[in-house]
Amino acid sequence: MKWRSRKKKEKRRNDYRCVRQQGGYEVIIMNYIPVTENDKRNMLRHIGVKSINDLLIELKPSIADSGELGLSNPMSELELLEHMKRLSEKNNLMKYFIGAGAYNHYVPAAVNHLLMRGEFLTGYTPYQAEMSQGTLQAMYEFQSFICLLTGMDVANASMYDGSSALAEAVLLSSSYNGRNGVFVNNGLNPQYLEVLKTYCEGADLEIVNEINEKTTCVIGQNPDFYGNLENLEYLSDRAHKVGALFITCVVEPTSLAIVQPPGYYGADLVVGEGQSFGIPINFGGPYLGFLGVKDFLLKKIPGRIAGMTADSKGRKGFVLTFQAREQHIRRERATSNITTNVELMAIASTIYLSLMGRTGLKNVAKLCYSRAHLLQEKLAKMDFKLLNDKPFYNEFLVRAPSGSSENVLSHLLKEGILGGLHLDHDNILICCTEMNSLQDIESYASIINERMLLK
Amino acid sequence: MKLIFEYEESITGHLPDSSDDDSHSLGDLPRELIRKELPLPNVSEIDVIRHYSNMSRKNFGVDIGFYPLGSCTMKYNPKINEDIAKLEGFMQLHPLSHQSCIQGSLQLMWELGEYFKKITGMDAFSLQPAAGSQSELLGVMIAKAYFKEKKEKRTKIIIPDSAHGTNPATAAMCKFETITVKSDSRGNMDINEFKELLEEDIALVMLTNPNTLGLFEEKVLEISDLAHRNGSLMYCDGANMNALLGITRPADQGFDLIHLNLHKTFSTPHGGGGPGAGALGVKTHLSDFLPLPRVVNDGKNFALDYDRRRSVGMTRYCYGNFGMLVRAYAYIRSWGNELRKISEHAILNANYLCSLLKEDFELPYDRRCAHEFVLSSRKLGQKSALNIAKRIMDYGFHPPTIYFPLIVPEALMIEPTETESKETLDEFATALRKIAKELKENPDFVKGAPYTRSVERLDEVIAARRPNLRWNAHTGLEEEDGKKMPGINEREDRRQK
Repeated sequence: MKWRSRKKKEKRRNDYRCVRQQGGYEVIIMNYIPVTENDKRNMLRHIGVKSINDLLIELKPSIADSGELGLSNPMSELELLEHMKRLSEKNNLMKYFIGAGAYNHYVPAAVNHLLMRGEFLTGYTPYQAEMSQGTLQAMYEFQSFICLLTGMDVANASMYDGSSALAEAVLLSSSYNGRNGVFVNNGLNPQYLEVLKTYCEGADLEIVNEINEKTTCVIGQNPDFYGNLENLEYLSDRAHKVGALFITCVVEPTSLAIVQPPGYYGADLVVGEGQSFGIPINFGGPYLGFLGVKDFLLKKIPGRIAGMTADSKGRKGFVLTFQAREQHIRRERATSNITTNVELMAIASTIYLSLMGRTGLKNVAKLCYSRAHLLQEKLAKMDFKLLNDKPFYNEFLVRAPSGSSENVLSHLLKEGILGGLHLDHDNILICCTEMNSLQDIESYASIINERMLLK
Repeated sequence: MKLIFEYEESITGHLPDSSDDDSHSLGDLPRELIRKELPLPNVSEIDVIRHYSNMSRKNFGVDIGFYPLGSCTMKYNPKINEDIAKLEGFMQLHPLSHQSCIQGSLQLMWELGEYFKKITGMDAFSLQPAAGSQSELLGVMIAKAYFKEKKEKRTKIIIPDSAHGTNPATAAMCKFETITVKSDSRGNMDINEFKELLEEDIALVMLTNPNTLGLFEEKVLEISDLAHRNGSLMYCDGANMNALLGITRPADQGFDLIHLNLHKTFSTPHGGGGPGAGALGVKTHLSDFLPLPRVVNDGKNFALDYDRRRSVGMTRYCYGNFGMLVRAYAYIRSWGNELRKISEHAILNANYLCSLLKEDFELPYDRRCAHEFVLSSRKLGQKSALNIAKRIMDYGFHPPTIYFPLIVPEALMIEPTETESKETLDEFATALRKIAKELKENPDFVKGAPYTRSVERLDEVIAARRPNLRWNAHTGLEEEDGKKMPGINEREDRRQK
């Protein structure tokens, strides 16, 4: 079956296996080039040149050489690991009571074990379907999960992250109805708003304060930046009344296990951040943008889409489909310039959702909900005023007793707790997930209690 | 193979049941907001493990075999870098942590930017873009902001006809018009046509160097000079930077902006289509326009600077695909000042493989290639590139990129990378030559390939005509046009076997 013969490997040696003296010892430097000196001579002879330098001279006549790069000495694997460990230890990990777009959830061990399989990790975009049925089926399952969770008809195989997915949804909307006004409801994650502004500036779109006949789309985040959960039907109705599209943005998608999907209250597009589904917080990336739409927007969707088909024997298989929307075919008339997205993260979330299942995901959501409410009640007893005027999910906004917020947060920090995101005045945005144990919540409250008593 | 949705109901056991937790229920949520039905499957852990393990076995990666996908730089991804990226201090760090808690990550980002500056000769870098294409978008946005500030009305972007599809697609996203310049007989952008088209409304000239034919743009200095005298900016699509590390710096070729694809040149794994990471480098006159925040260093501490009035703003949440930056950083540190060897060997491997194949295939631009080369199989008949790509799978190799660049008919774009041995290159060349022979002797056989993958040739037309893009409970077997359509009953078929 295996066509490739396995010749007895010749003893590998090459001059680039750089050996460096260090403290009287020889250190062998990492080297990922398998061509030996002997190979190199034979290869050069076959090409018909004397040296690699001759190749370079023919390649780029009269272009300046880089000269010394001025980088440090090469490192062995052991040296590198030690160096990187030291660097990583300059960061301080905390018990996180902060979300604001990045949610600290538990990732089952199985996710990473599956993800590290070289077949998933080291392949690329499945242009050659027969070679990539694993990635393609995972894409199809991911698209299905997103549709099932959001109530949309079609989803793509991922976007860079939630914020750029939102921006691309707005471009989609404008290309669909030819309008250029973008209405953003209160409560959109401020970083998402910043990203949206950047994209709008590039694409000559305008963020506007009222919904009218020039509005291309209306955007509502649910739960919003402050954790508020709301039936956005009223917003969807206002959008549809003037012929605009309604986009729901979901930044904490574990909420979808217990609240109605955006499809229920009239969303035409749902975009969001899938990081909560099995992806570590990782200092902000890589994360997982998702984008789902109603059927009528299918041909406008950006990015990769996997579809089910059959092979010449009628067996089920998967291919990238509707590629005529994409940049490598359609060029300047493509629906987006996106190419490499975050497929591995989409596979991570597909595996996560499979492992958790309906029951596990509901567990996560209920734990997030109940722990946030528990902490909020404890804080309320210490005069931290709840500012949410709607039911909240796992994030809530409190106003600390006058002038105390900075003090409170820095005191928590000293105890290894990142107590929340400090917004204006004494307002703190606090988040709980299943990672915040009852004990952690208790110590959060008692540290503040002590602080208040001391004051 | 069935879908994850087609397993029978089983038990999932992650996290304690929340009803044991405390008295809180969802009672205070309005009834209308509570989800009535969550249509997800419950599959046992062992079945999930088997499902995705088996699925992965239908895939192919650099870890499995030679993957000469041109323009994608499918090199070996060192395993140590995976371990490093998973160090707790990196992976478990919340992006909105207090500045005192993120010094290690900021130092890494700052130093990585410095390395990129040395490698490219640029003056400032942003590591925020999530991929090459987002870097391009950012670069074009910066050009737009730059000319807006200068109050110059420039509405067009020049690209050569060999350019990646992302270049014109990006231009369109920022409402620029694309002007395409044809390639000359040596595979360079045609300088005479370029001169004619270079008018005062040209904002940007986007070049890939080496270009997508794997050839160095021989007139790049002249092009840069002309563009600059016209007041236009020069953008380098750095997708092919694997040819130039330590050899020549894009800034010295006159580029004002460049993006790097860290998943190509700097060996972060491709992940089946991402995550990648882009880095955008610019010369001083554009550095104020880079996105927010910037990592700054006062000699003692590192900080995030959001106070830049001329910046185009943010292009994504937080700071970039940090996990990929860690891997790229580790890769560069492991090579250190020996980085040039990477490109030297990428060029050696490409030229060697090219020399093995150019007798049996057509080499449309017979020049010294850089890290990749493009062959044409035109003489082997229509659709021969496609048929070769499908047949090479049976020999245990991933196909090259085909039908790109668009200017070469029946194009086979081959990029071996530096991490392949002579032995592998010899075996690949032998296989390709054998297929060329097969195509002459028994073309119908080749047209039926592949024969050894989990599926035979897939029907893309049906996929587009009758879209099936997601599972739902009704997906099932249908008969139409005499063609059996796939569906959930496959499980039955499998049991019978």
